Amino acid sequence: MNARLTVLAALALSLGASLAVAGSTLDRVQKTGVLTNVLVNDYPPFGFIDSSNHLAGFDVDVANAVAKRLGVKLKLETPGWETIVGGKWQGRWDLCICSMTPSTERAKVLDFAAAYYSSPAVLIVNKDDKAIRSIKDISGKKIGVGTGSSYEAYLNKTLQIPGAKPITYSFTNVQPVPSDETVAFQNLALGSGVRLDGVVSDLATARARIKETGKFKIVGTLYREPNWVAVDKGDDAWKAKVAATIAALRADGTLAKISKKWLGEDITKENF
Amino acid sequence: MGNAAADRLVSHSPVLDAASEAGVHPAGAVNPHLNSQFNLGRRFRLRVGLTWLSLLGILGFAFAHMGMDFSLIRQKLPFLLGLSLSPDGFIQGAALTLFITFWAMLFCCLIGVLTALGRMSANPVAFALATFYASFFRGTPLLVQVLLIYLALPQVGVELGALSSGIIALSLNYGAYLAETIRGGVLSVPPGQREAARALGMPRWVIGWKVVAPQALRIIVPPAGSLFVSMLKDSSLVSLMGLWELNFLAQSYGRSTYRYMEMLSTAAAIYWTMSIVFELLQVRLERRFGKAYASD
Repeated sequence: MNARLTVLAALALSLGASLAVAGSTLDRVQKTGVLTNVLVNDYPPFGFIDSSNHLAGFDVDVANAVAKRLGVKLKLETPGWETIVGGKWQGRWDLCICSMTPSTERAKVLDFAAAYYSSPAVLIVNKDDKAIRSIKDISGKKIGVGTGSSYEAYLNKTLQIPGAKPITYSFTNVQPVPSDETVAFQNLALGSGVRLDGVVSDLATARARIKETGKFKIVGTLYREPNWVAVDKGDDAWKAKVAATIAALRADGTLAKISKKWLGEDITKENF
Repeated sequence: MGNAAADRLVSHSPVLDAASEAGVHPAGAVNPHLNSQFNLGRRFRLRVGLTWLSLLGILGFAFAHMGMDFSLIRQKLPFLLGLSLSPDGFIQGAALTLFITFWAMLFCCLIGVLTALGRMSANPVAFALATFYASFFRGTPLLVQVLLIYLALPQVGVELGALSSGIIALSLNYGAYLAETIRGGVLSVPPGQREAARALGMPRWVIGWKVVAPQALRIIVPPAGSLFVSMLKDSSLVSLMGLWELNFLAQSYGRSTYRYMEMLSTAAAIYWTMSIVFELLQVRLERRFGKAYASD
């Protein structure tokens, strides 16, 4: 049976196994000249696959600008969200310009280097809905959210954004329905109260969806939601470098330009 | 005694034959001795074909009336099929799905045979290793296995790429199932066959290769074919690690264009087409191992 184990090990090795490279992210990026950024592939207009089958969007442009300023090549990867937010990247990825909102939970496994845009959370309902006019009206209703999202934490009244004002909650007994966000919107499109009464999501992505489908409307802005650039835990030099790069891109107007291109307004101003 | 057993194994039932030929394969091997049986087989196949076409027509009609955006499907279809490379220069879409499935099938067969041997071995360590492995990989969800291999192994210093993790997870998971299928096939060969071969003084490997394997494969091929069709579709789980295979692209396009149903139905159609090719291959293999008997 030793022979069998050897065969398995050889298979694993021939498939490209390599031992984890220890050492800091900054060293690796400088040595290899490649910056590996993770982002979400189905989150327009921030990250999506465009009609020519390339990754595009606000986050892609920001990542490109960061790589350009650092003088390195950009590599984009699109692993599942749960593998990103779990931390312990083990040197697979260097950076997450991926529209992530910091929370005290996430800050335990990831470091947040710099805020790069802020887009508020909003409440979206079916366009024919007449009962829900503001966030107060969702008491006792079924509200869809992405599983593991900050919006789910918001409905559960457990959301704490580090460095931001505590959030006030003006609803009671909401039934949060966590699922895939795309599925949640499909459900909401079936009609008010059929499967869901509303969805909590992000303003910019909701606007893009409404423009394209015409099936929903926004009835309330809930709280400011800063989105930060995240890095793996434990490399302060890299974190500082990323923070300085983002600050420089904000100062020279690059961020504002990218924001206007994708969203028609500047959502990257400081003072989140 | 051996001959009687072999006769029993190769004895044919016309109804079963017609059913297996009628599957989806156009040209069937037909018993030339009985003309009426020939006609029966042809009529059967014709009716099966017509029924298939009607069902497909109903399905197509239903989809055509769902208000889907077919221009989007036309635009995305070449990418979903994997006719071009992904932005980072690797194969994508259905091509990547087939690539992953092909390698996983290969390793799965290897693991399956080794495990089946261990499972039938008199050596307690080999038996324990084989049963432990099969029990673990059959008893835990594939999704969990994919994540363990991709996320937990790096914690102990083994860092695998997304593609290798996916292929290893699929091979290990399906290898455990295939081992039982193989074992079932080997056990179905009557012991008399081996006894007779030994009496003729055949060496062990010849007995295994020429006597047991051909008879066992006849039993193994149908369930193994089923497993591989299932594996083809389970390969979509590796999209979790950011591999741009068929399911990943379909989900991604569907969400980004807010046309989820279009992309999911297209992916389903492509998976189904690939499965049909697998099934056709399976029918050929079945016929091959069935024939070897009949002509002996």
